[in-house]
Amino acid sequence: MTEGQETAAARSPGNTLGRLFCLTLLTPIRPQWVAVLNAAMWLGKFVPFAQKHILQFNFIHFVRWSIVKEMPYNGPPQTRDRLKYQYLLFESNFDGPWQHYIDAFAYCIPADIRFVWGRGPAFPGPPPAEPLKRWIAMNSMEGGTYYCAYPHASTRMVKSALITRDRLKRLVAESRTAGPDEFMAHYEQFLTDLQAHL
Amino acid sequence: MGESRNITGGAYALTVFTAIIPGHEEELRETIEALPRATESPLARLTQLHTSRLQIIDHLVYQGPPALRDALQSNYLLFTAAFDGALEPFLDAIIDDVGPAADRWWRHCVGYPSLADRAAFKGWIRRNQVHTSLFAVASPNESVANVLESLALREKVLEFAVSAQGLPAGEVQERFRRTFGEVG
Repeated sequence: MTEGQETAAARSPGNTLGRLFCLTLLTPIRPQWVAVLNAAMWLGKFVPFAQKHILQFNFIHFVRWSIVKEMPYNGPPQTRDRLKYQYLLFESNFDGPWQHYIDAFAYCIPADIRFVWGRGPAFPGPPPAEPLKRWIAMNSMEGGTYYCAYPHASTRMVKSALITRDRLKRLVAESRTAGPDEFMAHYEQFLTDLQAHL
Repeated sequence: MGESRNITGGAYALTVFTAIIPGHEEELRETIEALPRATESPLARLTQLHTSRLQIIDHLVYQGPPALRDALQSNYLLFTAAFDGALEPFLDAIIDDVGPAADRWWRHCVGYPSLADRAAFKGWIRRNQVHTSLFAVASPNESVANVLESLALREKVLEFAVSAQGLPAGEVQERFRRTFGEVG
């Protein structure tokens, strides 16, 4: 972390808002691995299982990876960057703090973690989790500002709300034609169906 | 092909690195850190925006041996956003709804043409865009409006369930119709 970033991190948590945390990593990829990683990520877009696999822990709202081949160049007064590596930008928006969930990554999907980041030089492949946590802390890009349209809603709350909405629409339709006793039966079934979501 | 990988369901992942004019880093840092947060943020005016981050990238982390040391010659403003729909309307919304606030952070960046030149601004963003390799979304076909509406409805259902306890069936139904009759 630079002095500017240390000051920034101390002044304001530029990557948290409400329940949400935004983790940004920018890490080098071994040159021999870039094409493999690119191909695997391209495949991941078209394989439905990949999305479910990535989001299996139910605490991630949005997550992206970008392979940064080179930094964009806009001419003077910018000095063009000619880097020794291509870089993997990782940004995840999830229910924080991140330290609570690294154990899940390290012990449930270590192969995935090693596949994506393990071809970066000097990556401490999990398990165990503690070296991975130290590596993440070292590479976390701090500072700045963060925005979310629903910062007080966890991923589970959002999913529950969407399920509640859909189930409510059915009850509304039932309420239009049912008599009182029939409606109560529908209403009680509605509450039973949603007990895990309310 | 690059553009299609920015999209999952109805959501778009935008990633933009723009070089900071040398000597402007501190003022830019103060500008973005002083931005109001949450509903007061100028980004809250973008009704299609789920999440966004603005941060300065001024170093690369040395990983230790056997990695080679790498260093940035320029510093960058990294702007990321996850939003509903396509890029063009989103950039239009930045121009129309965020306006001067966005001007105040991007004017510290090399080549920034100002929001007044709509086409030039969009071209500048696209030239500095880094396409996504993989983008995963928990609820990929749910817009910001849908999520907010659903969260509000869930709260309303909870309140209703509590208030309706012990009431006769006819009254529950009547209250339900009044409360939720427009949903659907």
